[in-house]
Amino acid sequence: MSRRDGRAGRDVLRRVGEASVLILISLAGGPKHGYALIQDIKELAEIELGPGTLYGALDRLERLGLIESLPAENRRHPYRITAPGAAALRVHLDSLERVSAAGRLRLRLSGI
Amino acid sequence: MDAHRTARLVEAVLRCYPARWRRRHGEEAAELAALLIRDGIPASSIALSYLAGAAREWLTPRPGRHLTVVACALLVAACSLGVSAGLLASAGPARASTSQARGRAHCRPDLLEPVPGATPAKGDPQLIIWEAGHDRSC
Repeated sequence: MSRRDGRAGRDVLRRVGEASVLILISLAGGPKHGYALIQDIKELAEIELGPGTLYGALDRLERLGLIESLPAENRRHPYRITAPGAAALRVHLDSLERVSAAGRLRLRLSGI
Repeated sequence: MDAHRTARLVEAVLRCYPARWRRRHGEEAAELAALLIRDGIPASSIALSYLAGAAREWLTPRPGRHLTVVACALLVAACSLGVSAGLLASAGPARASTSQARGRAHCRPDLLEPVPGATPAKGDPQLIIWEAGHDRSC
């Protein structure tokens, strides 16, 4: 198994970009439309997603089957995370945690 | 920038997206832009974000999209790069020949004096150390 595949399954979010991961994390808290996503991510990660980036990431995640669009409310399309999306997010966060733990350990060992 | 002009700017930028995208997201995107502007985000940065998104949208190959559109966009980019590279290349040899001529004139052994104490090698002028102010063999 290659490192890219990860220990607990393939990390499909490795190459989708930070915006997509943030959107999935936000949607893990419940369905949201574009504006609510931008607001939530700003609060969660102190990152302001541009609307162009947002729609690009939403389309990509939907194509990958990681999120799905719900019926429109007025003109707004809410999105929700799918079961494969939740699984992919879990794998990705586990992978980040492993890297983060290794980084902290190395910093501690080197005494920097 | 007043609200009317801002709306027109966003509308113009949204027209850069493919029709399929506009049908799906167009109205919501315009409303989202209005909400973000109301929150104090500059209209220009919103327009720029949508413009970059539109470029990405066109350049991302999709099953339903003719590959020729993507190929044409890449071809135009490659051509513009090629023209720039061509201009640079044509300027390069001219510069190189000038510096070569200068180098040759500088390295003429008859114009230079041997370093005192250095042993001239017989029959091989390349090994003679000339006091030329540089360490290249001539």
